[in-house]
Amino acid sequence: MSSQANWNSVTGIATLLFDGNLVAIAIAILFTFGVPIALHILFFQTVASPPSSNFLLLGPSGAGKTAFTTLLEAKSSLASNKSHSTHTSQQSTLVTVTLPPTVPTGSNRYRSVNDPSLKEAIRNPIKYRIKDTPGHGKLRASQGISELQTMSQSKDIKTRLRGVVFMVDTAALVDEATLRDTATYLHDVLLFLQKRAKNGSSSKRTTEVPVLVAANKQDLFTALPPGAVKQKLEAEIDRIRKSKTKGLLDASADTELEDEEEILGNDEQEAFSFKLLEHEVGVKVDVVGGAVKGDLQEEFGSGVRRWEEWVGMCL
Amino acid sequence: MLEAFEILTTSGVVLWSKAYAPVGAHVINSLINDVFIEEKVVPQNATAGGVSPAYKKEKYTLKWKRVKEFDLIFVAVYQSLLHLGWIDKLLENISTIFIDLYKDQVKGNRVRIQTYRFDQYFEQQVRELEDNTGGFVEEHVPETGEKKDPLVSSDNGGPPPPPVPGLVKAQPRAALAGATSDEGTPPATPEISRSSTPQGHLLTAKAGPGGRGSRRSRKAANSSANASSGDEVRKGKSAKTPVKKMRRWDASGMADEDDGEILDYSAPTEQGETAAPAVEAVSEDDWGRRTGKGQFVLKELGEEVQSILDQADAEKSKGTASSGVVGSGFNAIGGFFRNIVGGKVLTESDLEKPLKAMEDHLLKKNVAREAAVRLCEGVKREMIGKKTGNFQSTDAALHVAMESSLRKILTPTSSLDLLREINAVVAPTTKQQAPRPYVMSIVGVNGVGKSTNLSKICYFLLQNKYRVLIAACDTFRSGAVEQLRVHADRLKELSVRENAGDVEIYQKGYGKDAANVAKDAVDYAAANKFDVVLIDTAGRRHNDQRLMSSLEKFAKFANPDKIFMVGEALVGTDSVMQARNFNQAFGTGRNLDGFIISKCDTVGDMVGTLVSMVHATGIPIVFLGVGQHYGDLRGLSVPWAVSLLMK
Repeated sequence: MSSQANWNSVTGIATLLFDGNLVAIAIAILFTFGVPIALHILFFQTVASPPSSNFLLLGPSGAGKTAFTTLLEAKSSLASNKSHSTHTSQQSTLVTVTLPPTVPTGSNRYRSVNDPSLKEAIRNPIKYRIKDTPGHGKLRASQGISELQTMSQSKDIKTRLRGVVFMVDTAALVDEATLRDTATYLHDVLLFLQKRAKNGSSSKRTTEVPVLVAANKQDLFTALPPGAVKQKLEAEIDRIRKSKTKGLLDASADTELEDEEEILGNDEQEAFSFKLLEHEVGVKVDVVGGAVKGDLQEEFGSGVRRWEEWVGMCL
Repeated sequence: MLEAFEILTTSGVVLWSKAYAPVGAHVINSLINDVFIEEKVVPQNATAGGVSPAYKKEKYTLKWKRVKEFDLIFVAVYQSLLHLGWIDKLLENISTIFIDLYKDQVKGNRVRIQTYRFDQYFEQQVRELEDNTGGFVEEHVPETGEKKDPLVSSDNGGPPPPPVPGLVKAQPRAALAGATSDEGTPPATPEISRSSTPQGHLLTAKAGPGGRGSRRSRKAANSSANASSGDEVRKGKSAKTPVKKMRRWDASGMADEDDGEILDYSAPTEQGETAAPAVEAVSEDDWGRRTGKGQFVLKELGEEVQSILDQADAEKSKGTASSGVVGSGFNAIGGFFRNIVGGKVLTESDLEKPLKAMEDHLLKKNVAREAAVRLCEGVKREMIGKKTGNFQSTDAALHVAMESSLRKILTPTSSLDLLREINAVVAPTTKQQAPRPYVMSIVGVNGVGKSTNLSKICYFLLQNKYRVLIAACDTFRSGAVEQLRVHADRLKELSVRENAGDVEIYQKGYGKDAANVAKDAVDYAAANKFDVVLIDTAGRRHNDQRLMSSLEKFAKFANPDKIFMVGEALVGTDSVMQARNFNQAFGTGRNLDGFIISKCDTVGDMVGTLVSMVHATGIPIVFLGVGQHYGDLRGLSVPWAVSLLMK
């Protein structure tokens, strides 16, 4: 080694690097192999995670939202076959669950029957995310509706909302007060979606967010069938619509000049129905029965099968 | 006895639960609703060290501990009749153990799928604490503690000899079998060893087989006095009294061989483990092999639990110690930078100043001191231990938290849609209910605007084409009826002009009993097919018991669907007492249904009264009076109120 080959001077370092020095070789090897791997990790992971589809779970307290979420979670994890019991929620949670491979997805209609990716689905189940929100009256505005707002308006494809599941306790709906409460909440949700659809259409076409009214607790004896639930909710929403138009203004109405209050379903003359809403605004509402607890068949969690099918159709 | 214990997350999932008796889910749900969400029940001694707040529901008392960091709530349910002093300790210990064991799982995203095998740990803790506080046991603690060592050494002396036939006979077979299976559960921790000696018959029974084992080993050590000790044991088994006597003897004299043996018999395994773990390990192993796997596991469990608790204690003491002089300077500088950059973990001292400023700000907005303090306390509780966001100062974080807690306090649990409720009563959809007039009454302090607001509501109802009857039940103040008549005449005039509803006044002059007049008015309205009855009452000072007491009778006679209280936006601190006294005036089972805050136009942005009133009672604000005209009645908009308050 020459006397110049030391780490003290610039020329010395340069000489060392071009020498057959072991350190230099090691650094070079590390660099050549390391950089592609690092780049791969960096870019591949961001791209590879597919745009996850989000669903928002709304509904009054005690309808079974958290129970539904935990059931889905338990179903998608192979380990446990039992979902936890639940209490009133105070916070919303976002969980990732998988769709059972037997449930067809909405995108299947673009595929051939022999599409190999269909078989792939069994090995590679589709994942989606569901957000459970608290249904208590005090927390609705801050965590339910505002969540709907942020999720539906976000430009980011990762957090975009694919559908809203509105959970209803069909056994409690006989009670006048519960019905009123449930319908009010549903009215607010639908009104928001209607506003969104209207604003969206002017600038650029936004995808509509479909709503599933999940008529829960069908296993109970006192439960109303989904058809009756639909009828009751429609009638009650119609009543809300009417009284909303006549009600008092908010205190904030004086300060900010807002255009007139919107009416759900636009057409005031006609009685409200979910069909009207779809026709007028394009917000699709389905009422599907199911049961989180008390499985209809022996299979675990079969009571929510039809809701999962609905979720599948949205994907 | 403990009824149930649950560990749940704030998102509502029960992670682990143990129920000794069926407790309805609604009990805990109502705890969550009343305490955490609606904050109706303010925990009295939430901040007092070591004592968990309690909440009573039906026949149960619930105590809970909230661990903010992990969003976990630990709830213990027990019957209110019992005074279980160890519940606080249990909550403390269980939360420590649970978090230590499942720290990673709880942090991760698989919290909810996980099954938590926590039963053993819990059982162990319950038993330990139950034993520990067994009343009279406590006195003897030091003595038994002293005794332990010699006993243990003799206990572990050697391999157990074959059981003496006489001994086996002494213990009934059934009891023995039951005990061996149970035996697994009481694992050894110092507390238990010290005190478990004279617990109820249950415990003695459980300790049975252990006693046998120890006796054996003891015999190995010194084979003398076998027969006599056997006799002693038999006596101890059959009744509690001999055991007690033995203990006393024990305390007075110094370790007689026999005495030691008897003490030993009552809780031998536990003693062995704690006092001399090294020696114990051998015999325990030995023993475990004989009785089955469970025992061995249990021994580990007791030690594990103890070590966790010790660790937690140590950390706590370390935490208090380290906050001394050494790091303070550095911390101050670091804290200063973090305050700008964000990502700072907030402590109580960080929050003290900004919270004081916040409290002053609220006071300036005419929020009653009591309410302001409570709000700040709530925010403080929420904020301590939280990390501020990126580039978020402490003040900003506090601002956000205060806004959300204001929003929470003002948002009603169920929004009131007056028209729909009236419709439901006047024209019921179901056949069972007969249509009847909807009755509203208005109460309040003198001069707050009861009659004015009543007329405003009346005008609003008239616009919706209802037939309204105004009942003048202020039979006290001269001119009150005439004043109302003027309003009624004006409204009639207006309604004719606008082709709206129909209004009439019902009055019986002065000096009559208001409750009777109100009742008559309701009857009259029912007979004459009125839709709504609005009852005006005399203004009364909220701290005048004589005047307030008549409200109870009034509520009973008129039985209004809604009782609204009118409060001035001008009033300051007194609003809390006004709201509270009026809320209580209607007797048990009847409360106010809402507030009408009048004269909001006179206070500008100082709308603190809204918060004070809701804070005092948890009853929502229904209407705001914002001007002099009949149309100047508004519903409450929470964002509007919050923005005014935070301005």
